Amino acid sequence: MSEKYLAQPDLDFIHEVIGLGGDTLKKCFQCATCSVACPIAPENSPFPRKEMIAASWGLKDKLIGNADIWLCHECGDCTTLCPRGAAPGDVMGAIRSIAISEYAQPKVLAKAVNDRSQLPKLIAVPAIWLALMAFITVFMGDFMAKIFNVFGVHWYHGDHGGEVIAHANFISSWLVDATFVPLLTASLVVFALGLKRFVSDIHENAVLNGKTDKAELNFKELVMSTIRVIPTILLHKKFNECGENNSRATSHMMLLYGFVGCAIVTGIFFVVLYIFGIPGPYSQLNPVKWLGNVSGILIILGATLLIKDRMAKKSETSTFKDWYLLALVAGLGITGLLSEMTRLGGAKYLTYLVYYIHLIFVFNLFAFLPFSKMAHFVYRTVALGYAEYANRK
Amino acid sequence: MGNKLGVYICTGCGIGEAIDIEKLSEIPEEELINFKTHSCFCGQEGVDIIKKDVEGGTNAVSIVGCSRRVNFDVFKFDGCVVDRVNIRESVVWPMSREKYPAPTEEEKGKEDFIDPIQMAAEDYLRMSIARLEKVKVPEPYKPDSFSRKILVMGGGVTGMTAALDAAKVGFEVTIVEKGAALGGYAAKLRKQMPVKDPFESLIPTVVDDLVQKVSAEPKITVKTGTVVARIAGQPGEFTVTFKNPGEKIEFDVPFPLPDEMKVDENGKELDNEAQHVKYQEYNKGKKDILTLDPNGELYGAVVLAAGWRPVELKSAELAHLGVGSIPDVVTNDQFEQIAAKGKIVRPSDGKEAKNVVFIQSPGNGSDNDFDYCGSVTSMVSLKQAKYVREDYADGKAYIIYQHMKTPGLQENFYKSMQQDPGVFMTKGEVVGVSQSGKGLLVDAKNTLLGENLQVKADMVVLATGMVPVTVDDPVVNLAYRQGPGFRDNAIYDGYADSNFICFPYETQRTGIYAAGCIRRSMTIEESMEDATGAALKAIQCIESANRGVAVHPRSGDMTFPDFFFQRCTQCKRCTEECPFGALDDDAKGTPKPNPTRCRRCGTCMGACPERIIGFADYNIDSIGSQVKAIKVPSEDDFDEPPLRFICLICENDAYPALDIAGMNRMDIAPEVRFIPVRCLGSVNVIWIKDALAQGMDGVMLLGCKHGDNYQCHFVKGSELASIRMKKIGDALSSLALEPERVAMHEIGIDEYDKLPKIIGEFVEMVDALGPNPFKGF
Repeated sequence: MSEKYLAQPDLDFIHEVIGLGGDTLKKCFQCATCSVACPIAPENSPFPRKEMIAASWGLKDKLIGNADIWLCHECGDCTTLCPRGAAPGDVMGAIRSIAISEYAQPKVLAKAVNDRSQLPKLIAVPAIWLALMAFITVFMGDFMAKIFNVFGVHWYHGDHGGEVIAHANFISSWLVDATFVPLLTASLVVFALGLKRFVSDIHENAVLNGKTDKAELNFKELVMSTIRVIPTILLHKKFNECGENNSRATSHMMLLYGFVGCAIVTGIFFVVLYIFGIPGPYSQLNPVKWLGNVSGILIILGATLLIKDRMAKKSETSTFKDWYLLALVAGLGITGLLSEMTRLGGAKYLTYLVYYIHLIFVFNLFAFLPFSKMAHFVYRTVALGYAEYANRK
Repeated sequence: MGNKLGVYICTGCGIGEAIDIEKLSEIPEEELINFKTHSCFCGQEGVDIIKKDVEGGTNAVSIVGCSRRVNFDVFKFDGCVVDRVNIRESVVWPMSREKYPAPTEEEKGKEDFIDPIQMAAEDYLRMSIARLEKVKVPEPYKPDSFSRKILVMGGGVTGMTAALDAAKVGFEVTIVEKGAALGGYAAKLRKQMPVKDPFESLIPTVVDDLVQKVSAEPKITVKTGTVVARIAGQPGEFTVTFKNPGEKIEFDVPFPLPDEMKVDENGKELDNEAQHVKYQEYNKGKKDILTLDPNGELYGAVVLAAGWRPVELKSAELAHLGVGSIPDVVTNDQFEQIAAKGKIVRPSDGKEAKNVVFIQSPGNGSDNDFDYCGSVTSMVSLKQAKYVREDYADGKAYIIYQHMKTPGLQENFYKSMQQDPGVFMTKGEVVGVSQSGKGLLVDAKNTLLGENLQVKADMVVLATGMVPVTVDDPVVNLAYRQGPGFRDNAIYDGYADSNFICFPYETQRTGIYAAGCIRRSMTIEESMEDATGAALKAIQCIESANRGVAVHPRSGDMTFPDFFFQRCTQCKRCTEECPFGALDDDAKGTPKPNPTRCRRCGTCMGACPERIIGFADYNIDSIGSQVKAIKVPSEDDFDEPPLRFICLICENDAYPALDIAGMNRMDIAPEVRFIPVRCLGSVNVIWIKDALAQGMDGVMLLGCKHGDNYQCHFVKGSELASIRMKKIGDALSSLALEPERVAMHEIGIDEYDKLPKIIGEFVEMVDALGPNPFKGF
């Protein structure tokens, strides 16, 4: 602590925080009501008081690599109690958004994802790509079948003699997976690279500020700690401690389970399709299908409740980054279930259209995962794991 | 004295239940004094009863009931002295019948039955009758010549505002300004802090507007390039001599002889005439204070708005901040001058100063701000931070403070400055400023950012304070015997002030009202408000002096000290001890009273060893007779006579505290008889000696706190009393009386809860000493 810290305020950073919903940050007069009010801040150098002054001074270096910004669940207790209306919760959210962009590469993409004006492009790219895929499936099926036959693989997954409507007849599952598997892999690589820097930064920050009892970072132990916090995350134990926005914890939990469920279902059907060679659509009596349907409903419910919450809450600032994610999640759930329902209802062209839109949403989810607010599930998980590892209390 | 007395015993508010009214009535009855009882004298019916008697010739009424602090407006009768016998708050309420049971039918007849409540009530009534026999209906003092003009010293924002406000209500005003033009310091600013709602952004200074208004006002005369040589006389008839700055004239004010010149070579004090000769030598070429300038101008009251100057920083004490060694470390005053010229540039090389650190406190192990700082320096740093941001889009202004003071709605100004992304603030202790290449480095510790903080700067600004010009210059140049300036101003760090909490604008000289930065460091907004207050005080002074009544704090008091000069020994104690310099002694040492300077505290009366000073309704005899009227129980009357004490209690804070204790039914020792006094300064030791000689077991003095944070309404009263009480201790020892029998306590008006304990402990302590051996003689 005795080392000198040369403060070099970054005016651009301040403007960035202001633009991302932290426009109140300069109102803080450091009374620390927020740190006292926060139900989940640790006792030793609690947040968000110190983050507030660092932000108002534009000290980007003190914030981006600070694990504490991820311990915050933005429940809003601090914002409600702040005597100055400085909304620390919103400021923390804005800082997190900057941190996500900071660790994600390439930067251009990160900027675009958080920029409202770039949204049409972000939608146009998958729309054109998926239209091309549909074109290939619908009009070039025979040609593709010939090529596949050369390798001894069936091109058609969904052709049940034309009696059953299968989305694979519109966009081949080969093409879908050929799009999304590399996309997801790329995202995971981006995450991996970001996490490497993130972990070393948060450790350095913790050592510098006396927030850990570990001098050297042990990756193995960190991984073990991260696994140990998974039950906490699954039960939303921290989130539930929040006072102001307690209801949001339930909605968020629905979303989490919805996504986990969908991931499991997708995984199982992936194996069923490619290992066992059984193409869909699968019977509604199949328990995996039940899980898929329940997960879809959970996502829609969770997203709807969160949207309702945000619209009703006047105290909380909602910016593009928040609406983008909520719209994405809600869209995913609705189009997913709708495409199933229209398929079962026999509305062939309608179901193709809905499926097409659904895939655009999926594309957005996978491709922009490390750049959007969605990335929080990685950083927060690691930060919670680090807090556990570092004995942050 | 020929007063026609009337006694009115009220039986309401629980008095009738606790007191044997019939027995109490025997007192006036025996003295053949007209008395009446009623269950509610403060009601219309009760008041009418008294009024009828007053119309019938009664000119001194004793109202037995509630405290003088209530219903004073109800019991007000023209041409009649009113004495209030406080048996409600002082007897019936604090002494309960549960603790001191009333005598049973059987006990009633017994001579030796001790009923403390009845005894107290009877004593208080006897005291009142004794007092009323010794006082006179006061008649006002009216000066021979009288002026309603107001003199404003200082032509800055404060002075101009005061002049405009006084002129607005019809008073003739003269502004005297030392400089060549009106405007003062505010004329040198780039911008100023807001003066009205919403208090959010900087505005051009108000100076031009004020100068225009002043020159358009026919009731205001402006004398620029002029100073006051002397102000002689008293409120209502101040004779003022003006001169050019630096000029030497015969009406320059003389200074009193320093103490070391008042003694001969052996250290013995010179007699009055020898001192006067020395005084004339010391002030050669200047006329004595009692000589009035025939060409002087007459004024009724003075508003002192002479302002301030920036503190000169001592490089020895502030070397760690680079004071005196680093040219780019400047004061806020120097920074303002740079800002007024144009863009902010460094003094060292004239380059743009985009990073400026404002240091509010010198640090070095202390969290004090710079000397003579106040909230205004906090505000100025915010204002000047804005200059940096106005001049440069990428400018950064840092404020490192120990205290950020933004009083009142100026908080809005702080909030709006805080909103600027380029303004950075933290609490912290500055460790040092050092040169690093062409720039500066500022080090601070214990900041809100946690660690040892370092900031790069192009320039450092120190928040130096505002020194009142009265710090080393009398400024007002009063032709008063006590000297031309304000006394004991060191306890206010040189500010022209009197009792800061209760009496804003009051100085220690009646008729001189201070406003603006001469009173404390202030913003322009505060100074303007202050100016209005001081102008109103000046008007109040004129409107009181013309009717012969006191201005403050005994507003409306018609009495004034009366001297029986035949017996004066020219000891000068009254002249020297008067907290307001109201007395000017002549060459022989005989005091010349200046009644309109007087605040009627009675300090002169307490000081006078010959006891020749008194007021119409408050004098040595009136209090002395009250003391004598108290019955001291002795062994002749009772087997175990109760102790008896008097408590001389200051009516300003201690007496209200006693009333509050009574209202709260707190148990107060029934052995003590309280006698309200105007100020402990007015307590003459003869009363104490007489009380002890009479057999009283002890004497208590209760007054206001003295010392640096004094609460004495007359500045010096309780301090003088404490000195006198120390001296009386020796006299008591020579009488073989324990000095502990006389005690003085200081109490605040809010400390009523402590009063019963203080009094109770004193009673117990004296009880342990045993009864006064003089009892019964």
